[in-house]
Amino acid sequence: MNIKHTLTVLVMALLTLTGCNNDDDAVKDTSGTGYLDVEFDNAFAGNDLILGAQPNTTSQNEVLNISLVKYIVSNIVLTKADGSTFTYPKSQSYFLVNEANAESQMLHLTNVPAGDYTKITFGIGVDKQQFEQGADGQGDFLAVAQAEDMLWSWSAGYKFLAFEGTFTSPTVTADTPFMVHTGQIGSNYNYAEVTLNNPTPALVRTSIKPVIHVVTDVSKFIDGTNKISLSENNAMGMGAMIMGGELLPLITANLNGAFKVDHVHND
Amino acid sequence: MKTLYILGCLLPLLFSCSSSESDYQDIALNVNIPANFPPMVYDVSVNPPTQKGFELGRKLFYDGRLSSDGLVSCAFCHIQENAFTHHGHTVSHGVDNRVGTRNSPAIQNLAYQNVYMWDGATSHLDLQPLIPLTSEVEMNGDLTAIVPMMKGDSAYKKLFEAAFPGQDITVETMLKALSQFMVMMVSSDSKFDKYRRNEAGGNLTEQELEGYSLFNQNCASCHATDLMTDNSFRNNGLAVNPLVNDTGRYKVTGNDADRYKFKVPSLRNVALTAPYMHDGRFGSLEAVLNHYANGISDSPTLDPLLKRHGTMGIPLTADEKMAIVAFLNTLTDTDFVTNTLYSYHD
Repeated sequence: MNIKHTLTVLVMALLTLTGCNNDDDAVKDTSGTGYLDVEFDNAFAGNDLILGAQPNTTSQNEVLNISLVKYIVSNIVLTKADGSTFTYPKSQSYFLVNEANAESQMLHLTNVPAGDYTKITFGIGVDKQQFEQGADGQGDFLAVAQAEDMLWSWSAGYKFLAFEGTFTSPTVTADTPFMVHTGQIGSNYNYAEVTLNNPTPALVRTSIKPVIHVVTDVSKFIDGTNKISLSENNAMGMGAMIMGGELLPLITANLNGAFKVDHVHND
Repeated sequence: MKTLYILGCLLPLLFSCSSSESDYQDIALNVNIPANFPPMVYDVSVNPPTQKGFELGRKLFYDGRLSSDGLVSCAFCHIQENAFTHHGHTVSHGVDNRVGTRNSPAIQNLAYQNVYMWDGATSHLDLQPLIPLTSEVEMNGDLTAIVPMMKGDSAYKKLFEAAFPGQDITVETMLKALSQFMVMMVSSDSKFDKYRRNEAGGNLTEQELEGYSLFNQNCASCHATDLMTDNSFRNNGLAVNPLVNDTGRYKVTGNDADRYKFKVPSLRNVALTAPYMHDGRFGSLEAVLNHYANGISDSPTLDPLLKRHGTMGIPLTADEKMAIVAFLNTLTDTDFVTNTLYSYHD
């Protein structure tokens, strides 16, 4: 019955209401377009990936010292709960993620129609359809790839994934280099398409820019559903150079299990 | 009638307008398929050749600034008088005199092929220039530097804007321009072509006709159609050079059955494109025929057509060889190698 008390309650109520209303209004307004960021956070089996320093052990007891992780992310498609999709404009949807370059790990998508997105789909590599189109639709991505050494000069094609470093194992006791490069080789196209569920929906609004935080477990590249032993591919002790042949489709198949959406920020 | 009269008066205006704007106006080019050619492979609907696109591609072709030392343009190894091959060079030298392992192939009628390079490393004409352009031993070009170079050059800016209006100067438009140039590089007016199309100047001599007949019996199974290639990869019995051990198509497919197989080249203008084979090892057409007659090396992937009925190679008498060489000389298209449309322009 105290006026002061009532006023305080009223003011508090008003503040709460206006506060809530602002957020509610923003979330409710699903008109227009907005921004969406996708972050690719490279990790090794639950630990952060630190290039060139930390030893990382695989299930096959190979200890890797990783010096380079690069991959092409492309053809992003966002899906809503009702199954409808938004396909990011193809010619703008080619990105090159490089562990050594923090900026490259945050993909900035623009003009995304407002909505609640529950899934994200992307490709690792440059898809076959684009490849068969020649220069059409490539813009300057060839230059980006060449600058990152992700363009195979001899075949005018892209490296889809580059994974390099040194390793030791029970049978390989001296530090030995390894290099995994995937891409189109011979009759294997080696492009992987990955679909991930967002644990909470990404709310794109004119005033909300969500960040989908993807964690890439690089151990899965060679230690996923298919286990590839670097020691067994160490020809003449000169290093495990895996850049062609039948191992690439196996590594490509592993890519599906290497990515997951860790969380989504909506602010 | 009145409408026609008005139109008639307007027509001269149109002509005078276009001549003063011809520098900036782009015109579609007629892509004619010669009557004796197989179907075109390149999809011109995605990248239709136009006057300015052609000029832009030509300018790029002759521009040494695409290479890391500013000297090695495409034209450095692809010289018009030799049907755009590198006369006298077994393999070419690129920037800093670095040397490769393969002989410079001819640039002609490429829109009719579905795979490029001696090992078929790429199947799209747009992408082919990337291979010599980015190869360290050839042009050693840096795409990240080439794009700003073109953007800073007023001649390039005008050509790009005319050929690709409203589009940025990018690697994509650069490659498309080069494709437009290459698509229009058609060699189809040799004596042989005129003979095939029953045109004036197509009278083959008896020896040439005899050579053509021998060619059809012995060579045309691989050097097929009037473009003289079936675009396949074959091992034609060349002894392997142990220093290079060039496994050819195997490098691209990883298929053991493709070891030491190379692309069947087109024989058009062959009298001008010496030396011959993927490593330029034969200096004359006679040497090539001698190889087929007596010089075949056997191997697991040797083409079955060169090992028929227990005979190695293609037995030929001296007269037969001369007739075939006479025929091969009729494949020379003087118009193509002298046409200034394909030459360097300031």
